[in-house]
Amino acid sequence: MPMLRGFLVLVLFFVLGESVRLLLALPVSGGVLGMVVITFTLMLKGSVSDDLARASQGLISVLVLLIMPGVVGVFFTADQFSGQWLAVAAALLLGTFLSVLTTLLLMKAVTARGASDGE
Amino acid sequence: MESELIARFQALPDTLATTPILAIGLTLGAFFAGNWLFSRIGRPVWLPPVVLSACLLSGVIAVLAVDYQDYQQGARWLTVLLGPATVALGIPLYQQMHHIRAMWRPIVVTLPVAATMAAVYAVVIGWALGATPEVLASLAPKSVTAPIAIGITEQLGGAVPLMMGGLLITGVVATLFVDLLARLLPVKDERILGFALGLNGHAIGTARAFEISHTAGAFASLGMGLTGVFTALILPLVFRL
Repeated sequence: MPMLRGFLVLVLFFVLGESVRLLLALPVSGGVLGMVVITFTLMLKGSVSDDLARASQGLISVLVLLIMPGVVGVFFTADQFSGQWLAVAAALLLGTFLSVLTTLLLMKAVTARGASDGE
Repeated sequence: MESELIARFQALPDTLATTPILAIGLTLGAFFAGNWLFSRIGRPVWLPPVVLSACLLSGVIAVLAVDYQDYQQGARWLTVLLGPATVALGIPLYQQMHHIRAMWRPIVVTLPVAATMAAVYAVVIGWALGATPEVLASLAPKSVTAPIAIGITEQLGGAVPLMMGGLLITGVVATLFVDLLARLLPVKDERILGFALGLNGHAIGTARAFEISHTAGAFASLGMGLTGVFTALILPLVFRL
């Protein structure tokens, strides 16, 4: 029961997010809008109820189950993208290498500067 | 009499596929089988349980000759929960927020640049090599956690299956590249490594970060959550141009 109560809160925030998306014709999914609103609500409130924490943990722990139907599609729709595999592979491998490099260098530089400013 | 029974037996998968319960049962079964297999082979970082489960599930769907569209239709009963599950990501994000105070400057500077570049590098490289707009829209959210990325891809007009494949590969290679570059640059600060893992490698990177330390895991969760929100809000606006 308590977990279902938390689930109801999540569903309400999702419905709120979907409503905002549809009313304002935003190109952002209702789930993300609901997530932003619930994060700010919790920051204002300063605490999270046990029910809500438990429901969110429960859902997050089965996320893999929820995304699996999407993943399986790779094997069944792959031929739609034949001829573009080189582009896809290069974008994923090289792109990820560059973005990891960017993140680490930027974080390192700003942290180092912040530390010397503080002294 | 006997041949009738065989005919009925052969029609079984198709008949069952008209109800959602087959799709739900197969998905649940593959989920647990994948998790079991994952712990049996020693929990390798480069082969997350979702890949194992998805391979098993695809194999079973192919063997049973269940129509993929029928399966998707039935699995809607599960995927409809992705909306509330995305909202649920806000709770750990709120719980990790206090880490921003400890390192707000590097985070505020790095997040917008790095999260944007994660998408830009992929789209520019893909575009230069002749990928179609649909493929580019599927590659753009590659560093975003899956439930949010599905929402983004649908808004951009990409293909969810291709995006999911790219997402998993990105998570795995981001983890390998962070380990490699941490040694080469070198970067030793666990907070930076964690943040980089979460920002680039979403849930797969975050799982790796929790192996480094609890601090790294906390910063990875934060990086993953902030990247998801930031990318979801910015990418659809930019992509329209």
